[in-house]
Amino acid sequence: MRFFSSKLPPRQRLIYGGAAAFFILAFFAMLWPIYPSFSRIEPRLLGMPFSLVYLVGWLLACFFLILAIYLWESRRGEFDDE
Amino acid sequence: MSSWFIVFLVTVGYLGASLAVGLYSGRKASSSTEGYVAGDRSLGFLVLYFVMGASIFSAFAFLGAPGWAYSRGAAVFYILSYGTVGLLPWYFFGPRIARLGRRFGYVTQAQLFAHRFQSPLLSAVLAVISLIAFLPYLTLQMQGAGYVFNVVTEGRIPEWLGAAIAYGVVLIYVFHSGVMGVGWTNTFQGIFMLILAWVLGLYLPYKLYGGIGPMFDQIAQARPEMLTPPGLDGAGDLWTWGGYSSAIAISAIGFSLWPHYFMKIYTARNNRTLKQTIVFYPTFQIFLVPIMFIGFSAILSFPGVTPADSILPTVLMSMELPAVVIGLFCAGALAASMSSGDAIVHAAGSILVRDLYRVVKPDLSPQREILLIRVLVVVIGSVAYLFAVGTELSLVFLLLLSYGFIAQIFPVLLATFFFPGATRAGVLSGLFAGFAVVIVFNLFPVLQWQNIHPGLWGLAVNALTILLVSPFTQPLDEDHVSQFVVE
Repeated sequence: MRFFSSKLPPRQRLIYGGAAAFFILAFFAMLWPIYPSFSRIEPRLLGMPFSLVYLVGWLLACFFLILAIYLWESRRGEFDDE
Repeated sequence: MSSWFIVFLVTVGYLGASLAVGLYSGRKASSSTEGYVAGDRSLGFLVLYFVMGASIFSAFAFLGAPGWAYSRGAAVFYILSYGTVGLLPWYFFGPRIARLGRRFGYVTQAQLFAHRFQSPLLSAVLAVISLIAFLPYLTLQMQGAGYVFNVVTEGRIPEWLGAAIAYGVVLIYVFHSGVMGVGWTNTFQGIFMLILAWVLGLYLPYKLYGGIGPMFDQIAQARPEMLTPPGLDGAGDLWTWGGYSSAIAISAIGFSLWPHYFMKIYTARNNRTLKQTIVFYPTFQIFLVPIMFIGFSAILSFPGVTPADSILPTVLMSMELPAVVIGLFCAGALAASMSSGDAIVHAAGSILVRDLYRVVKPDLSPQREILLIRVLVVVIGSVAYLFAVGTELSLVFLLLLSYGFIAQIFPVLLATFFFPGATRAGVLSGLFAGFAVVIVFNLFPVLQWQNIHPGLWGLAVNALTILLVSPFTQPLDEDHVSQFVVE
């Protein structure tokens, strides 16, 4: 059983594996038993309770990571032959 | 001119624009089945981005999410959470699925799995499951449309007529233009929804409290339990962490597997387009934040409104806003309903023909196939409409089943790409075991320990069954399997 093709260079597999691990961490960070530690009103940011700021933070973190991976792939010319 | 009539005119203007966009866009696709169902695999980033965003954000997002924030407080955060990670698997699976689709001519989800496991029965099972999941979802969209019409015209247009008007327009452009009609109307509708959500979500806290900070200050003083998950349950008691977390888990797992989203992978022009859509999807997802603000803004200012889903129209109607603004809101809510309903009705027709009818009758000509899909689009739309206006018929049980059922496809997806030893018997028995668990746990809620979603128990049994049954049943040809699995 393989999650990433053996044809991928080790560095690329490491990056994809690291990103997938981060996304799985994000998933669990929004659930019990991790999220209850952050489910509180203070400190506030932009007026929002911390419980919401925490979730928006994960949304932005996932967005910037997947964007970085896309830009990296694009710079490597992965889509050039399409 | 009375204000309700201005509202009605704005709404009719929106419906006319949707119809024009939907009909015109049909000219962009070929007359083949691939053109009608998958847009000739030619959709670019802009359209695919809005198709995904607007299909996902339904009447529930526009009416239900403010209702949840209003009545259940921070419980509504679960919607933000599952969408954060729900589409990400596509970044890794999507290009592989699209490539297989181009190679073997798939336009539906079940075609991929049925081919991988050489099982027409799997195709039929997935078609039936899709229909079971779609029907209550489509019915809710129609009820939402009828409800909006009724409220903003101050009861002059009954709900049955409102739903008929909105979905009459949907059926015309889906019938005529197929996925291109869905795509371009969703682009128009998505832009509309995004603008309205941000404007309303920032305006209402400012108008009612002087800003977002002061709004949450006052809620924190008077109702602090509304700002910390898991929030409240439907009865107003504290929700359990089991219920809250498992709702996120099952929704995130099922998110990218809903057949009408999954099919959109085949519509992408290329991998760049597909990946761009996934990368920028969170810019759509973040619009749930202002949507939630709408519900939070009403907690202290409009106590006791029932049903909670009516909070947004109730707030707007009581703020003496110009009729044009209320009309625009009405159009935005209709856009949310229609942009999900059109994708569902189009997918349902396509799936019934491709995954069920063609299994029985494979020699269907392309012309007859498209005609049959079109007829079924109208039939399914009509059946859902009858459910929507037939008050004595309850679809709550089907709705409860649907999320649990759809999530059961996840082990099949994993087995398709990562488990070369998975067999036809293993996957089918896993699916049936998962479905059985979901049905039993919904029939006997006493089994739902800590409110954990039945779909999660079903997933565990499903995956375990695949692992246990596959080694003892007939394996598939290795050369065939190697076309699918990651090696």
